[in-house]
Amino acid sequence: MTWDITGMGAVACNGTTPSEVFDALCAGRDGRGPLQVFDHEKYRARNAYEITDRALPGVDEPGRATRWLVDAIDQALTDAGHPRDLTDVPVLVGTTLQEQRSAELWWRHGAALDPADLHFGTALREEYGAARTYTFANACAAGLYALAMATDLIELGEADTVVVAGTDAIGESAFGTLDRVQNDVPDALRPFDRSHRGMLMGEGAVAVVLTRAAAPGRPVHARLRGVGVNCDAQHSTAPDPEGITRVLRDAYRLAGAAPEEIDLVMLHGSGTPKNDSTEATVLSRIFPPGSGPLMTAVKSMTGHTLGGSGLLSLTTAVLALQRGQVPPVLGLTDPIEEAAGLRLVREHAATAPELTLAQVDAFGFGGINAAAILEAAR
Amino acid sequence: MSTAHPAASSARVAVVTGAGLAVPGLTLPDELLGTVREGGFDPATGLVGRDLRHKDRASRLALRATAPALRAAGLFDGDRYTGSGDTTAVVVSTNVGILENVCSFADTIARDTVLGLSPLGLPQTSSNVIAGSVAMAHGLRGPNVTLCNGPTSGLDALYWARALIVTGRADTAVVIGVEPAGDIVTKLLGTPALDGAVALVLESADRATERGAEIRATVAGCAREADLAGAVARAGGLTPDLWLTEAADDPAGPPAGSVLDPAAGLGAASGALGVLQAAAAVAHLDTHGGHTVLATCGGPEGDGVAAVFLTGPDHTP
Repeated sequence: MTWDITGMGAVACNGTTPSEVFDALCAGRDGRGPLQVFDHEKYRARNAYEITDRALPGVDEPGRATRWLVDAIDQALTDAGHPRDLTDVPVLVGTTLQEQRSAELWWRHGAALDPADLHFGTALREEYGAARTYTFANACAAGLYALAMATDLIELGEADTVVVAGTDAIGESAFGTLDRVQNDVPDALRPFDRSHRGMLMGEGAVAVVLTRAAAPGRPVHARLRGVGVNCDAQHSTAPDPEGITRVLRDAYRLAGAAPEEIDLVMLHGSGTPKNDSTEATVLSRIFPPGSGPLMTAVKSMTGHTLGGSGLLSLTTAVLALQRGQVPPVLGLTDPIEEAAGLRLVREHAATAPELTLAQVDAFGFGGINAAAILEAAR
Repeated sequence: MSTAHPAASSARVAVVTGAGLAVPGLTLPDELLGTVREGGFDPATGLVGRDLRHKDRASRLALRATAPALRAAGLFDGDRYTGSGDTTAVVVSTNVGILENVCSFADTIARDTVLGLSPLGLPQTSSNVIAGSVAMAHGLRGPNVTLCNGPTSGLDALYWARALIVTGRADTAVVIGVEPAGDIVTKLLGTPALDGAVALVLESADRATERGAEIRATVAGCAREADLAGAVARAGGLTPDLWLTEAADDPAGPPAGSVLDPAAGLGAASGALGVLQAAAAVAHLDTHGGHTVLATCGGPEGDGVAAVFLTGPDHTP
């Protein structure tokens, strides 16, 4: 079984649509900048990949993650030619932080907060009349977890079409605790480069419309072949090569694909030394050195967009398959030893007209892993 | 090309084989239906121990509910999980599970900069810390899902646990509803909150039968719809002997032999509510094996309504 991706939407620090983000990535344009609303004196890290949409510079607003979610879903529905009515369409939202930033603004600064605003179903009911909405707080694998569960809904006959989305805005508590634990203070996210010093957060939302089979005449962006999900059950923050290997094997099994058929890998690539070395080691064992698939890591330009990051990699993969172009890993000049045999795209976007199968990785806190396999729709 | 889930079959059915509580003053699920016992869980003494060191409160509560549920299912020997870790999922429902962490960490940053934070707090800024803690404690390497889905979240967790089993992504699922209480939670909810957790063990009927486990209930239907009538109909439209709900006065409610709110008096149960209701349903079906129980959460004024039908081991359609 495959599932058709018929609509896509995205907003990130370097673009307001999937196409804009893709063009920025191919041009090597990131959205990194100084923290916009956090007090710089309170943090060691001073940069993030934020969306610059606040009404007043330096003044934060509640509800931004929800706002971007609606924006991304609007785009995806329009793209799919679907009406703005989701009464009978399940919406699965993956997130790491939910509306955590709104809770902080409520607690610290007296902003209004209704418990119903912590999850996303309330807004989706108001915007789209959606009744079957689910907020999955599955850390940084959340978007691809939601995608996996959407395929299950369709397979179970619970729905023909599902909207799958991810969204996150940066919160102080999450940004701060990450800042506290990283040994070095990164000023940029530089996955797989020896200069990598850790993760920096980004902001954004992504949505895709997934359907059993597109209506006759409707364009299909790409076909989803399968999504694997699992848990390391080993460590709360450190990735486990065994768990990652297992989820990739599961994704290949579900997709009916062999590793040697993969043409492109969208790496998780969070820029933390432990994550990068683990992911590179696992992929080096799966793919032949020097002749495996092309690989890239969008977090080098978008930052780590947390719950939506897997879907942002997915929409980037879809456009890479369509356009035969793969963005580079920004800032990658001296790969870590474990990545020496991987075909990481560097310096400039690669031209690769015959890409057919793409793998998308997403790994999160709690050792939760997800991997999706996509096929070009030709 | 292979099918997505070769193990999936319309014949796969999810059943309940275990239930456990970590709710102040309670010991067993039948106390949710009015049975009275002395003693019961005491968070002051029950949430300590080396196994809980450095854990957030929600994870502690979840772990204390999970062990008796696994033991009741015959999957825990007191030391380790005896099922297959690779095919066991964890599904957690919580709405305010990390709210205290998030807000207090923001306070600490404002007061002491990030250097005032404990490095051990990092996982506690993501709601999935609870499901991760349970997975690590018992070696559960299947899908790991955290629902933060508002009033319907607990029954939605059952919906997804059942889906994971029916599609073959897992053979077993530990379903946990948990909410820790605290001043910040009370302020947000505007009312005293539950400080507890409840856990269920769901399995494929085949797996439960294969290992000779006692099947205590079958998850006969799950749904989420805009309103009560729609949710009940989509979940299968069975006629319940018992309806577990906070909305007994809803005129759209189904005719039922009796109606009960098992969470009454426990404080706002939020994301734990649906799992509490399901545990109460299992306790009812332990003594009324031919019955059907309906659990519902949420309301049409909110995001929608979730409904779950559970039937007893002697139920005949």
